[in-house]
Amino acid sequence: MKKTKNGGQIRSWLDERFGLSSVTQFLKNKSIPQHKHTIWSYTGSAVLLFFVIQVLTGFMLIFYYKPILEEANASVARIMTEVPLGWILRSVHSWSATFMIAFIFVHLLSIWINKAYRRPREGTWMTGVLLLFCSLGFGFTGYLLPWDALSFSATKVGTDIPRAIPIVGEWVTKLLRGGGDVTGDTLTRFFGIHVCILPIFLLVLLAVHVYLIQKLGMSIPLEAEKSQKKLKEIPFWPNFIYREAILWLILFGICLTVAIAFPPSLEKAADLMAPAPEGIKPEWYFLFLFQMLKIFPAKILFINGETVAVFLILLGIVLFFFLPVIDNKPDEKKGKIIKAAAFLFILYVVIMSIWSLM
Amino acid sequence: MKLKHSLFSRRQFLNGLIGGWLGAMLASLVYPVVRFIFPPYKEPDEVILLYSDYKNIFPNSVKIFPWGSKPGILKKNDDGSLMAFVGVCTHLDCNVSYMAEQRKFFCACHDGWYDEFGSNIAGPPPKPLRQLFISVEGEELIIKREEIE
Repeated sequence: MKKTKNGGQIRSWLDERFGLSSVTQFLKNKSIPQHKHTIWSYTGSAVLLFFVIQVLTGFMLIFYYKPILEEANASVARIMTEVPLGWILRSVHSWSATFMIAFIFVHLLSIWINKAYRRPREGTWMTGVLLLFCSLGFGFTGYLLPWDALSFSATKVGTDIPRAIPIVGEWVTKLLRGGGDVTGDTLTRFFGIHVCILPIFLLVLLAVHVYLIQKLGMSIPLEAEKSQKKLKEIPFWPNFIYREAILWLILFGICLTVAIAFPPSLEKAADLMAPAPEGIKPEWYFLFLFQMLKIFPAKILFINGETVAVFLILLGIVLFFFLPVIDNKPDEKKGKIIKAAAFLFILYVVIMSIWSLM
Repeated sequence: MKLKHSLFSRRQFLNGLIGGWLGAMLASLVYPVVRFIFPPYKEPDEVILLYSDYKNIFPNSVKIFPWGSKPGILKKNDDGSLMAFVGVCTHLDCNVSYMAEQRKFFCACHDGWYDEFGSNIAGPPPKPLRQLFISVEGEELIIKREEIE
């Protein structure tokens, strides 16, 4: 492509001031190794796609949503029934959240199974786990915002869980709820967390995460690393980006289709005094934890069963976060056990989730 | 520079001083933030209801009243006596309902069951429903957090 004289001038004017050529040069030289696990490299950008959709649809919803007890439910009803195309926007926001969380799980599990987190990429994994928790936080706070009976009860349960932790638990519950109970204060607080606090945390973490990926380059599979054979590579720009663009279009199409076919429902506004409706359940990605809390007995020996369950969950989180540090001998027996643990974890989550729906 | 009999150098002393000062300043900033994000919350000591609104409920049935921001449950037993509970499950705080036919309280969140006197009998609840204390003074039905003589 021939550059016009003016275009070149503008470019050099910008380059002198912002040093953009170092970035474009970097992207030109960046390449993606090709191997039989390359397909998993696309999951990260799929997450990014849904995150961008979340941000844009979130901007739209904020124009009409009212985060106070008396109006929250009615304002969502208005978005669904009166605002032109409001129902599609809310539906896309809700479905895109589901896709985003699903792809985060796939992304993390593929990295776990392929051991792409091994040295020196531990920091990339850890920021990734924190990004997962940020996203789950988005899901948890966003679930309450329509303020209907189901989301109200699910939030009562979710915010009461930390109470089982000795000493600090009570404070965590109060902090989340903005008081002793889930009330209008909780709704306003969750809204603030959902649209202000979590986005800032997520963007900072995302910046570190993406920086680390650029700095350290793409991980290559363990076998390829051992055989020291030079892998085929394709340029990031434009070859890989074009392939990603195809995936983005397909995923966006799927998301839009299910959003139009299956818009989320909206129940009656929550009543603080009404009994919990039957069949309450959290978002699908919390179902396995929900089922675990349900099957734990009230007492295990002389300890509160719930406390045991919560400590097991916390232990799981800590192990998950430090996985690359624990898995320090990836091609030995220990590494193989940790790989098998990934499949056991998937099996456990699937079984518990299905059980909770029965 | 460190003097012969000194425990630390001048640089260490100054670093400690500045560090301590920064720490103290940070603490004085964090304290009001922590105070701010925990709103005052107090469970009511008592609520006063109109007795006439509640005395005519049928035996083996309940009526809800607001106990702060939680539901309170007033129940009439078969012998006509009244009982009051905080109507939230002791497991994970969901609002419970009374199933009159089965003579049990039920929490739909995790399938928790209590008998008609609020004792936990099945499912995950670790404790009985919290009982409140009732007294009637003239036209007023007074429900208290603790039994006061």
